[in-house]
Amino acid sequence: MGFLAPWFLAGIAAVGLPIYIHLLRQHKSIPLPFSSLMFFERRTQSSIKHRRLKYLLLLALRLLLLLLLALAFANPYIRRTAAPASDGRKLLVVAVDRSFSMRAGNRFDTAKQQAVDTLSEFRPGDLAQVIAFDSHVELLTQPIDSVPELRAAIRSISQGDGRSAYGEISRTLRSIGQASKRPVEAHVFSDMQRSSLPSPFSELGLAANTRLRLHAPAEAMEPNWFVESVKAPATIYQAKKVRVQATIAGAGTPAAERKVEVLLNGRTLDSKQVKVPASGRMTVEFFLNDAPYGLNRGEVRIAPGDALAQDDKFFFALERKEAGRVLFVHEARQGNGALYYRTALDSAPNAAFTLEAVTTDQVANISPTKYSFVVLSDVASLPSSFEDSLKKHVQGGGSVLIALGPVAATRPRVPIAGEPVLESRYAARGGDRFQMATSLDASHPTIHGANRMDGVKFYHAVRVDAGSDRVIARLSDQTPLLIDKKIGEGRAIVYTSTFDNVSNDFPLHTSFVPFAEETAEYLSGIGQTPSNYPVDSYMELRTAKDTGASVEVLDPDGKRSLSLQESASAQTFRVSREGYYEIRRSSGRHEIAAVHADRRESDLGTIPTETLALWQGAGQVNGNGGAGQPSEPKPYSLWWYFVFALFLVALLESWIASRYLAVENEVVARKEAA
Amino acid sequence: MQRFLDPKVLSSISGLGLIAKTVVDGYVSGMHRSPDFGFSQEFAEYRAYSEGDDLRHVDWNVFARTERTYLKRYRGETNTQISLLLDASKSMDFGSHTVSKLDYARYVAASIAYLSNQQRDAAGILIFDDEIQNYVPPSSRQGQFARMVHAIEHAVPGTRTDFSKPFLHCQQFLHRRGVIVVLSDFYEEPGKVIKAMEPLRFRGNEVVLFHILDPQEIRPTLGEPKLLIDMETSDAMEVTPDYVKHDYPEKIDAHIAALKEAAQRAGMDYFMLNTARPLDEALREYLTVRQGRM
Repeated sequence: MGFLAPWFLAGIAAVGLPIYIHLLRQHKSIPLPFSSLMFFERRTQSSIKHRRLKYLLLLALRLLLLLLLALAFANPYIRRTAAPASDGRKLLVVAVDRSFSMRAGNRFDTAKQQAVDTLSEFRPGDLAQVIAFDSHVELLTQPIDSVPELRAAIRSISQGDGRSAYGEISRTLRSIGQASKRPVEAHVFSDMQRSSLPSPFSELGLAANTRLRLHAPAEAMEPNWFVESVKAPATIYQAKKVRVQATIAGAGTPAAERKVEVLLNGRTLDSKQVKVPASGRMTVEFFLNDAPYGLNRGEVRIAPGDALAQDDKFFFALERKEAGRVLFVHEARQGNGALYYRTALDSAPNAAFTLEAVTTDQVANISPTKYSFVVLSDVASLPSSFEDSLKKHVQGGGSVLIALGPVAATRPRVPIAGEPVLESRYAARGGDRFQMATSLDASHPTIHGANRMDGVKFYHAVRVDAGSDRVIARLSDQTPLLIDKKIGEGRAIVYTSTFDNVSNDFPLHTSFVPFAEETAEYLSGIGQTPSNYPVDSYMELRTAKDTGASVEVLDPDGKRSLSLQESASAQTFRVSREGYYEIRRSSGRHEIAAVHADRRESDLGTIPTETLALWQGAGQVNGNGGAGQPSEPKPYSLWWYFVFALFLVALLESWIASRYLAVENEVVARKEAA
Repeated sequence: MQRFLDPKVLSSISGLGLIAKTVVDGYVSGMHRSPDFGFSQEFAEYRAYSEGDDLRHVDWNVFARTERTYLKRYRGETNTQISLLLDASKSMDFGSHTVSKLDYARYVAASIAYLSNQQRDAAGILIFDDEIQNYVPPSSRQGQFARMVHAIEHAVPGTRTDFSKPFLHCQQFLHRRGVIVVLSDFYEEPGKVIKAMEPLRFRGNEVVLFHILDPQEIRPTLGEPKLLIDMETSDAMEVTPDYVKHDYPEKIDAHIAALKEAAQRAGMDYFMLNTARPLDEALREYLTVRQGRM
């Protein structure tokens, strides 16, 4: 037995305190005056004995209390053997790497065969468990003793496209070792990729009772060329050339020439020869002319192939769309706003929108669902049918840009968004002639390129109670200028000034063009979702938490990846395979996401032998000799037992002491009464 | 009215004179009786003259009519002299509630003094412990009540009780026969108490003993073994609840009974006053007995 914090034993000296108190109190008694003792007889023996006994009991309890307190703080422990001997029976853990790099050659099949062969070490009384891993660990069986089941589990492991992570498998082995009372013998079948090592080596630590054996299906590193990345626009609107940029790299390769092809929907559009330096990379550009309308499945491929053929191609998705239509609703006499806004959209370098300006009188029979987004430019009132359909459209994922001017300020609330309109403010003639935009939230995509609206003068603004909505920009008197509000699945941007050249001179500034373009792209959802995802990344399925509209995801085989419940409620989806995923979003939008394997898997360089030896010795270093060896006694803390005893003694002491206190209080009370 | 005569209520009244008046007037109004109660000058009877009788009492009108000498006798021939002996020993300072035994004795003494003053009887008081603390000679002069009240008010708990010395002095001071009222807790052997008072009785005095005890002295309650301190001797004694519950009541009852019996045997009146009882109740009992005797 020992103490983890022996310095606290000095607290035992405190036991002198109750001894001192009790020695004093033993001679102290509170007498009770009485008129005459003429009729009393001295019968003190029993009572004094009784009281002394009580005092001694209280003293003993207090001494014990302090003693236990000091001992509890000193944290006593005993050494005992961690687990009883398991009669040589062990837990066999078979872990097979199914990451993307295992596709090279016949690594994966070899690894599985080696794993099956390992089961020959299985002895009666042993248990075994099968694990498949890449960046995630999947327990295929519980610890069982049925060899056929184990063999079937190993054979059922399928090849994945994920990235291997040795930190994860080590963590799992560590948990198994800590939970297991018998020695663990772990067999890991992997290509021992250097790029899969965790950055801190300590993450590879194992439990004391775990012995690790590593099996590599391939001894030497194989040279590998691969398409490292492809840059292509996700969406194009014009019939101009599409620029596709591909990077070809080699790992452990000599300098070589490779043929690079770009395919669209399985049809080769262009090809080039490129010289890739030794273990280096080279970028090649293609300009495609014939991108058809709609969703296109693109692919960049290199030839000739090598051992790992799957990374010789890289998928990308390309969508060609008609220019987006924007519905611009304004009052009959205020056409200037439409003019400035259309000019700005047309002036954008990647003009993707066409504006249709209508007055409030003409809008009644127009459906907002046909437009990328709707602009309400300082309108006083809208036909109720249009307002209702616009509200419904925004709730379902549509967008609206609302500009407020002197006409809209007559309404109590902002149309569609519903914020209260507080006042209509003109810049005072006597004071500030105009106001500037300050407090800009530069992280918001609508004003990212608007150059902070430098020099724009605002003469009139409508003051709106933004509530909990996100305010993107404020004027110098803190009036919100731009408000981003989420409405259901859709959103509304409220601009508290107008697009004409009356309330402000914003349309005359160059920053108006990027503002109009970025606002339009933001509201129409262009560029917000990437078209290329690495394996094991998550794609966003819906932006709000309402579970009404369903989302559908089809995997590269064309099968549904989501259950019914997931399609109604899942916020994100993890892509686990290379290929093209089709997504039908709740807003009705149809997209294609190209998924490629993590290119770190393409570097087939292996872990140095010394590092592997260190990893295998991690269990032995941390504890004893590992599986099958007798374990040394471990310290076992007795802290809880002492604290429990302390609690009991404290209760007893309080009870006895309270009885004393009650008696003494009675004496004092009677003395005061007398 | 009764509720006002509770000792606790009386203790809140400042001034013994007012307390005495409250008690006595309350008693009188409650009894609807004449204040004469036996000390009156009412005609009682005629008695034939015999030698040695005082000629001043001969009814000369009867003699003129009948030529026979008769003495006219009254119910109270003479004014009674009342002497109060108040024990102011330390033990009298005991009290388990707001009124100590000494306070209670003060009220009784003041009340009797007030009654005497109303009757124009001579009254005096002697306050003692083991020595005589104060002595106001009996007198019926004006201001006597105030003097007595002053003496009673200034009676302070002294040391221990010793009946022999004060009573010896008393015999020297009291020349006339009268009523002697002793107010004490009588923590002494009954034989010794009676022996100390017998000479007064032999001189023709009427001796009345008021035995004043606190409820806790009659039936004490004790929850735990306690160290009791004798207020007079400062002796300490550890006593047990068991003794207090079973043995002590027998002893104190035996003491009270012995004192009462010894007093009655010696021709003295004995009244036990519990300080928890209303004061006028105690006085009523005493005066009823006194009236019957007169």
